[in-house]
Amino acid sequence: MASISIKNVWKMYGEIEAVKDLNIEVANGEFLCILGPSGCGKSSTLRMLAGLEHISAGDVYYGDVRVNDLPPKDRKIAMVFENYALYPHKTIYENMANALKIQKMDKSEIDSKVRTAAELLEITPLLDRKPHELSGGQKQRTAIGRAIVREPELFLFDEPIAHLDAKLRAHMRGELKIMQRKLGTTMIYVTHDQLEALSMADRIAVMRDGVLQQLATPSEIYNRPANKWVAGFIGEPAMNFMDCEIIENNGKILLKNDAFESALTKEQSSIIKTNARGNSVTMGIRPDDISFATSAKESMVSGEVLVTELLGGDMLVEAQVSNSRITVKTKPDYSGQMGDTCQLKFDNTRWHVFAGEDGVAYF
Amino acid sequence: MASHEVVQYRSTIRSAINVFTFVFLMVFLIWTVLPFIIMFVSSFKNLLEAFNLPEKGDWASVISVFFDFEPTAIHYRELFTERNFATYFFNSIVSSGGSALISVVLGAMAAYSLSRIDFRGKNHVFFWVISTRMAPVVAVMVPLYTIFRGLDLIGTLPGLILAYTTFNLPFAIWILKGFFDNIPYAIEEAAMVDGHTRLGAFREILPLAAPGIGAFLVLCILFSWNDFLFASIIGSGGAKTLPVATRELVTPTSIQWGKIMAAGVITSVPMTFLGLLIRKYLVTGLTMGAVKE
Repeated sequence: MASISIKNVWKMYGEIEAVKDLNIEVANGEFLCILGPSGCGKSSTLRMLAGLEHISAGDVYYGDVRVNDLPPKDRKIAMVFENYALYPHKTIYENMANALKIQKMDKSEIDSKVRTAAELLEITPLLDRKPHELSGGQKQRTAIGRAIVREPELFLFDEPIAHLDAKLRAHMRGELKIMQRKLGTTMIYVTHDQLEALSMADRIAVMRDGVLQQLATPSEIYNRPANKWVAGFIGEPAMNFMDCEIIENNGKILLKNDAFESALTKEQSSIIKTNARGNSVTMGIRPDDISFATSAKESMVSGEVLVTELLGGDMLVEAQVSNSRITVKTKPDYSGQMGDTCQLKFDNTRWHVFAGEDGVAYF
Repeated sequence: MASHEVVQYRSTIRSAINVFTFVFLMVFLIWTVLPFIIMFVSSFKNLLEAFNLPEKGDWASVISVFFDFEPTAIHYRELFTERNFATYFFNSIVSSGGSALISVVLGAMAAYSLSRIDFRGKNHVFFWVISTRMAPVVAVMVPLYTIFRGLDLIGTLPGLILAYTTFNLPFAIWILKGFFDNIPYAIEEAAMVDGHTRLGAFREILPLAAPGIGAFLVLCILFSWNDFLFASIIGSGGAKTLPVATRELVTPTSIQWGKIMAAGVITSVPMTFLGLLIRKYLVTGLTMGAVKE
């Protein structure tokens, strides 16, 4: 087992900086997700950890061993690739046994390990087949099987379930998490799917344009995003943003824009007082934290219903509030129609305020 | 995925085209196969029977006249006893097989590096490799002869193998690169993570390029086997091959048709069998069969 240290790592492709000054510490046995949109440098990071790509600058340590110049075969890792990368000309059994065969392990031992892993992944009946006879889910299990028979010190998963259909993906999320807990092996898992990251990871590293945005637990990432970009990237439907100004009135701190004017809580006010840089800010609030007011007194802002979308157990209402579009998550019994005026109430304990210039979160 | 069937609707024109296609293919078949049949049959005839032709315009007796002979193996016997054809056959096999093998081994390695590794001037190197095939054989023959003579390679099997390799190797690199390009890089990466070195990963994916390598092996063999120019100039003397030996059956005093026919059969039969044997590979190979994952 190994802890991983990524220290000031850069990856350059010619002039293009794919990963910029990355620092991540992964504890032994931890499940870390690297999350970000395509082209954010997450796969490059993983491939540098695997030794498939040269580290342009900085160091990577497994435990206290610097691995920058170790080829993949000496890193005691197992990797699952996005497109599975099974050997097309070998059977499932041979695919899984390959790494052990290279280690010149005893045949009976290989056999028992492969069969145990196949049992765990429920692919025993497929062992004699070739990869092209398998479905996507089965191929993916094989790829995972190939990784776990090796009993590596580190798992590297590169979007392994991205190509499965939605239902199977949901199932595999649970399976993978259980498997990782059972084996207790350190896991670094790259994905662009926030649902995978939020549901599986111990901690998530959110990356954008090669820069680490936030490294925290899933709940912290969701509830206390470090900046406006993370806040907008995490959460489905996405967070609503409104440009506001901070004003002070009779010692009270207020958030104000064309549509509303509302006081911050005491705690929030003190954070703004000590940290605020400039008056212009962006207010962010999740659709879950907005509700429809029953009386005009309760209401904070009024808007006009643009469209309603029924999502089974929930309903999304999109409303025009001055010049922003606000999404509200409500119950399916909401009866407003297109064009109706609606009264909205923001939960001011749950909203976020980001600095106007760089989007860094105040709270 | 939807099929890409070409739907054919029944119509008069369609039937006419079908009839025409059938007739065309029949003519084409006869055109192609007849010379081989005549060669094969004639190789078992003596000189008199071989030139026993029906009267002009007497089409009815074509078949009977053609097959009216006493089969004799004398031409084959003489080729092997008096004319050393066993040696020439051996020379042909060694020179074409040896060159094909060397070309494929070196070609696969070069093609793999060109396919996988980016280095400065890669495109220029690749173009240079192909460009060596652009000059006609005749144009390089004289300098090649001079060089080979200086190295005492004229009239030796190694010399002939080397000569064929100069022509087969660029071709091998060119074709095999396409095959390696089609193999997903991730499979090698998986192999390296599995514990292979780069060379081990290369060996791991070789089976995936097997159709290409097989097809190419045959193309190399065919080229060298049928070659006359290199064999007559560089191989002449000590490394005479079948085509050159056959040519020598035409002497200033006589043309030994029976022996020429027999030599033709000896030369074409192995290649025919080789073709049948790897026909499947040859087709997938030449269509650059994509790797099924």
